[in-house]
Amino acid sequence: MFCFLAFHKISVAVEYMASKFKPHSLRFHPSAAPSPKRARTVSTESSSSSSMKDAFSQYADYLNKLNDKRERVVKASRDITMNSKKVIFQVHRISKSNKEQVLEKAEKDLAAVTNQYMSRLVKELQGTDFWKLRRAYSPGVQEYVEAVTFFKFCKTGTLLNLDEINASLLPLSDPSLEPLQINVLDYLLGLADLTGELMRLAIGQISEGELELSKRICQFVRDIYRELTLVVPLMDDAHDIKMKMETMLQSVVKIENGILILLVLSKIM
Amino acid sequence: MKSAFRNAYLTLCRDSINPNPTSSFPCLLNLLPAISTSPSRSPFPGAHRNKALHSSLFASPCSTSMAGGEANAPEPCSSLEKQFAAFRCQLDDSGNIRERIRVVVMEIESASRLMQASVLLVHQSKPIPEVLEKAKAQIGELKELYSRLADVLNACPEQYYRYHGDWRSETQTVVSQLAFIHWLETGALLLHAEAEEILGLKSSEFGLDIEDYLIGICFLSNEMPRYVVNKVTAGDYDCPRKVLNFMTDLHASFRMLNLRNDFLRKKFDGMKYDLRKVEEVYYDVKIRGLAPNGESIGDEGIQGQS
Repeated sequence: MFCFLAFHKISVAVEYMASKFKPHSLRFHPSAAPSPKRARTVSTESSSSSSMKDAFSQYADYLNKLNDKRERVVKASRDITMNSKKVIFQVHRISKSNKEQVLEKAEKDLAAVTNQYMSRLVKELQGTDFWKLRRAYSPGVQEYVEAVTFFKFCKTGTLLNLDEINASLLPLSDPSLEPLQINVLDYLLGLADLTGELMRLAIGQISEGELELSKRICQFVRDIYRELTLVVPLMDDAHDIKMKMETMLQSVVKIENGILILLVLSKIM
Repeated sequence: MKSAFRNAYLTLCRDSINPNPTSSFPCLLNLLPAISTSPSRSPFPGAHRNKALHSSLFASPCSTSMAGGEANAPEPCSSLEKQFAAFRCQLDDSGNIRERIRVVVMEIESASRLMQASVLLVHQSKPIPEVLEKAKAQIGELKELYSRLADVLNACPEQYYRYHGDWRSETQTVVSQLAFIHWLETGALLLHAEAEEILGLKSSEFGLDIEDYLIGICFLSNEMPRYVVNKVTAGDYDCPRKVLNFMTDLHASFRMLNLRNDFLRKKFDGMKYDLRKVEEVYYDVKIRGLAPNGESIGDEGIQGQS
């Protein structure tokens, strides 16, 4: 089927091809066995049909370009996801003794993700409607948000704002064109994922006996959760984020329970 | 020490022992207020706080004074709160836009329903010019509604596709009706540019998405088998030939498109059943010698039996 389509495309005699190959496409359906009546299929050479073909070759062109672009954006997004995950793992290797080196490496990796992969996405999307292809790049952008905010929190204990992320992306795009800006929805979805990473970090710290740090993490995650509860009802595609909210609450509870246990232990020992 | 904590932690998790831990909280909370209020006065709370806290994480225990700061004072996370307050504003705005879109789209839907009701009379063998005249009465209104929709969207440039889903399916229906009317009138396919023109849309601002247009055309194809059956029943034996020619061309044209595995693909895959149905009607009419130019088969006997 595919090769017929490809063949089809380059053929100038579309009219002829259409009537010639029609039985092939129909034969794919078991109940549509070739029958004599198909031979009667009439193909007209009227002007209206050729203008139809002209128009459809334009539509085909449009769809091809769009699909190619979408494919490239999906690829870029996947690369961003993969490499952002690596940064997150790197940050997780943090401990009291090696903080500086770990964060230094993470910062370098993060810069590489930004300059190499985010910039590719930015270039792909330049000059197009960002919303049209959002579904193609959203996962990567969310993961990127997660990585940069996670890094930032471990470095400074604060939340990296959307404006700050977007400001850091500005140099990547051509100044003459509309720059890529991460939208609020992707940022918030990324934050929701961030809390999962923070939960892991907190549990790790709890088992290391780091009470103060885990409390700070706990507070931070609570703040995010609380703020998100106010924002979520206003968001466009409520389904995704609602699932994430449930997971987030579980994360908060896990950290809280861990801290409680740590406190109890510190009293016992 | 570490492993002792870990083991005890796991044990406690499993047994969910829950002694009262409150005795250990007050000493922590006492440490907080000193730092927690200062950042909010800075015009750049985030930057200020970054410096203050730069060494607080993973450092010596003495610098962890921010822990639990939010519990009794909302001030310390003002940067965070400010950002979220701004998000709420933004999302409220987009919610309002959505609401305004919804109002217009509902009117579009009811106008297209009226048009649909008029067009459907064509199946009951009402004279076509009369049916078309009634149906086309709605076109002016639709044009007006789409210009209102475009106005709403002009308030937020570059976000056409953010809200696109809100008027997609209604627009597809409108396209299919316009295309049906156009076909009844001229026997030709309504092209994308023509559809845009009828609805008064301009590609540069508020255009008709090509995929929506194509899906609308697939809906048109779904309408054809029924039309053919009713036409033949009403005695128009030449109709199947015309429709079949049109459908054959249309199907061939659609096969020029490389589709993804999406809704349009699904609709296109359904088109061949419409085509087959029309072919069958054409075949029946022809084999019974009912077709006006009944080329080869003129078997009166079959006609008599049917």
